[in-house]
Amino acid sequence: MTASQIRGLPVVTVKGGEDVAEVRDVIYSPEEGRLVGVTLNKRGFLAGRSRDVLPAESIHAIGQDAVMVHDESSLVAPQDAPNEVGHPATERNVIGDDILTEGGTSLGKVADLVLLVGSSGEVVGYQIDKIGGGRGYIPLPAQLSVSGVALVVPNITEEFVQEDLVGLGAAVDEFRARMGLK
Amino acid sequence: MSETFRGSMGRKVVSRSSAKELGSVSHLLADSQQRRIAAIVIGQGKKAQLADWAQLSGFGPDAVMVVGEDALRPPADDRERAAAGGDLDLVGKRALSERGNELGKIDDVTFDADTGALEDLLVGDRRISAGTLLSSGSYAAVLEEPPEPSP
Repeated sequence: MTASQIRGLPVVTVKGGEDVAEVRDVIYSPEEGRLVGVTLNKRGFLAGRSRDVLPAESIHAIGQDAVMVHDESSLVAPQDAPNEVGHPATERNVIGDDILTEGGTSLGKVADLVLLVGSSGEVVGYQIDKIGGGRGYIPLPAQLSVSGVALVVPNITEEFVQEDLVGLGAAVDEFRARMGLK
Repeated sequence: MSETFRGSMGRKVVSRSSAKELGSVSHLLADSQQRRIAAIVIGQGKKAQLADWAQLSGFGPDAVMVVGEDALRPPADDRERAAAGGDLDLVGKRALSERGNELGKIDDVTFDADTGALEDLLVGDRRISAGTLLSSGSYAAVLEEPPEPSP
């Protein structure tokens, strides 16, 4: 699933079956290749921006229909959250960034983050808007540097651009093997 | 004997001590941790009252017998007020796995009329053991993953 599919999902307690918030946006760490947390909106009559945040460590699971937490105490004020969650740097948003290879070829722009299914936020690839038009997917970890406007990836990434999410699953394993990662 | 939540709705509630009819079953409040019925709700709206399961002398096919009229009490806390309003009804509630995936709506729940123990949750064409129930609230009933469908 992708980061944009998480936006708007209810945050539900495993302990009580209550929807205590909903996801406003994801907080992504490009350096670590994972979600570090999510920002929240209130539910119901009080709908609107919530001050509280949900650190990834407190996420029980991210599913198709809900983000599960143990109980309401998983939602914390920004000052009680890890700094990267409570006060995320704005340049961490990679959506719209150019993807440049080390050789200087642009592969397109980042359109969305692809999450490992069943994880609590591991990002395994990016959905991209390709230069020539159309959608594609590239595996992560790939980028060597992130600036806020562009990210630089190894040249071989170009060989791993996939047409669909199904292809990405296999590409991630092969890509990581080639990169000498796990 | 096995009973169903749906089948129990509207069943008359009678006092064992006075033989008076006190009303009818409007909701059942389940204790998801204990996986049993905690109380029955009699009547609707502001006049709704509860009777704890321990105050029943029998959950029969024709009537639910309470030991006496003084077994009926008003809701004691927010959870019981929500139950009296029907917000916690298991029937009609979305069933959510603890991994955050929706399994469908709960169509009905079976229970042991002798003990009040929940037996199975009927979700679509699946029959899921109530033993997988982790919690239930106003939004969802949360089930263990993976839910084991019974044959």
